[in-house]
Amino acid sequence: MKKTKLLPYLLLLPSMIYLLLFFAYPMLESFQLAFRREGQFLNLRVEPQDEAAVVGTLALQTDVTVLERQRLEETLPNGRTRPFYWFRVEGLDTAGTTIEGWASQANLFIESRTESTTARVVGGESAREWTLDYVNRMLNDYRFGSALGTTILLVVLILPLQFILAIIMALVLQAQIRGSSLFLYIFAIPLGISDLASGIIWYSIFTQRGFLNSFLVGTGVLESPYIFIRVGNESWMIAAIVLAEVWRATSIVMVIVVSGLQALPRDYIEAGQVFGANLWQRLRYIILPLLKPSLQVALILRTILALQVFAVVVAIAGRDVLSVLAYETYRWYDPQRFNSPNMAAVYAGFIMLLSLGVSLFYLRAVRSEEEAAKLL
Amino acid sequence: MTEATVRSEVGSPAPMTQAVQAARRRAKMRHTLRRASVYAVAIAIALWILVPIWLIFTMAFSTPQDVRSFPKPFYPSPFSTDTIEFFLNTEGVLRSTLNSFIVAIIALLLSTAIAMPAGYAIARFVFRGRDTIRLGILSVRAFPVVVLAVPLAVVFIRLGMFDQTYSLALMHTALTLPTTILVIASVFMGLPYEFEEAAQVFGCTRLQAFWRVVLPLAVPGIAAAAVLTFVLSWNEVFAAILLTITNRTLPAQILYNLDKSGDPYKFAGGFFMLVPSLIFIFFIRRYLFSMWGQLNK
Repeated sequence: MKKTKLLPYLLLLPSMIYLLLFFAYPMLESFQLAFRREGQFLNLRVEPQDEAAVVGTLALQTDVTVLERQRLEETLPNGRTRPFYWFRVEGLDTAGTTIEGWASQANLFIESRTESTTARVVGGESAREWTLDYVNRMLNDYRFGSALGTTILLVVLILPLQFILAIIMALVLQAQIRGSSLFLYIFAIPLGISDLASGIIWYSIFTQRGFLNSFLVGTGVLESPYIFIRVGNESWMIAAIVLAEVWRATSIVMVIVVSGLQALPRDYIEAGQVFGANLWQRLRYIILPLLKPSLQVALILRTILALQVFAVVVAIAGRDVLSVLAYETYRWYDPQRFNSPNMAAVYAGFIMLLSLGVSLFYLRAVRSEEEAAKLL
Repeated sequence: MTEATVRSEVGSPAPMTQAVQAARRRAKMRHTLRRASVYAVAIAIALWILVPIWLIFTMAFSTPQDVRSFPKPFYPSPFSTDTIEFFLNTEGVLRSTLNSFIVAIIALLLSTAIAMPAGYAIARFVFRGRDTIRLGILSVRAFPVVVLAVPLAVVFIRLGMFDQTYSLALMHTALTLPTTILVIASVFMGLPYEFEEAAQVFGCTRLQAFWRVVLPLAVPGIAAAAVLTFVLSWNEVFAAILLTITNRTLPAQILYNLDKSGDPYKFAGGFFMLVPSLIFIFFIRRYLFSMWGQLNK
């Protein structure tokens, strides 16, 4: 019987290893990227030797006073020798305490090796240190505020539209009209459409020589095309992005809502009908409350995805025109631009925190309401 | 039904039969009206989804001149494959399409192979930590791609795995694995355990019972999960553009060239990316709800 006890764990093992490798490990790496910096520090030694014990470390550019010097000989590859100095120096370390120890001339800037009494630390060994520099840099970046603002604005605009449309779609499918399987396929089509393709499609509609202008000019509403997408016309760009996202990503909410609806006890809804509740009342007082768990799942999923909105924005607004958090991540990472994985990791971590916060908020909000209902 | 209509029916002095007939007529009328309005809404939503697809189809199959023209045609006239041919012959497109296929196929195979035993374990066994594991898998399902892509790129560079199709496939596998495990678990949960028991009674080992009885029944559902993985990998662009430079996948290639290319390239590319997904969704549409229905629990 021991075999059957171990079996499920063995079956799960490959997945667990894979997920740890590709989720847990990158998270650790990301943390390192965001909060640790490769720095150089000068190790002060007890004796004028490279291998001697370390007394303390000095940061680069620290001014030090030279207390003592020792002249050694260094043998060059061609067999000749030349003088090589070690200095006993005194300076303030990063914690602000005065330390003294030996450092070689290779790591110090000193005007005269034989006479100067002061020097400056210019070299050392590389070491990693904790830093909040990247975080501060992100927070102070001139694009950060607008990236965060635009991302949140998009979430706030997209989600309600999506949920209203998805619930309508689900109710239409539940009405069991003839041809509903065809409608089901059509409503499900956007599930397979990528954000980039959706962005390109809506760009073809909203661009200056696009379909919307063709229609408006063709029907005589406008005399000449209106330039929807241009710098300084953010509201139309946002509108196009919202439409593209609602168009593409509502289906997934619809699928979740429909499977939620199918699991609902039919008696409840029928009872509502019998007692004369109209559609709105049934929706408000019976269907939506029962659907809450499904809606919660969809809400968390969609919010997290909307916080990462990227390709749609690039396809519609172009690069660098409208900034969102995911685009900033890419911009900082891009080897041809800023080439800073550290900054990219900070932005990514920020998106992660937002996603986590939002999920917890939703879970909390729903639970507390239920608890409140129990108390009443 | 509103209070007013109820009162008027009850309180009306007219003969009973007439009132009943009127009410019945009204009910029928209301029924037809409701049906009609449901149809109207259904058709409106269908158009909302289909019209943009039609428009990009129009662009892909018009001449490049028509694509650049204004006002634009609302249907391909004349029908022409010049634009899509121009797109396919643009440098990098065929290569990146091939890359996309390779990445998606590796991700599909790997993710299904790893997820199948796990899904089976979750569906069939009761063991300590089962709920924790399920919850863990559920929570990484919604893990942001953006968060994983940056550190993985750095790790891949360090390991010499950067800019390879297989490393992107590994990443896509990670992204789809949680969903695939849960979907496959739901497929196995849908098959009665009695089948396996019966097979075992008739002398099969547990493995044989799985191989000969359970697996053939589970194949359609597992295939649907695999198709979902394919579509997800085919569509994924953020990790793709971060993890590859010379071995770009199709979406990464198109995104990268977006600023440098004209409308014919963009629109043909947009349509071209759409096609496989349309086909695949058609094949798995039956499974969508059962998959998600199980996932929500």
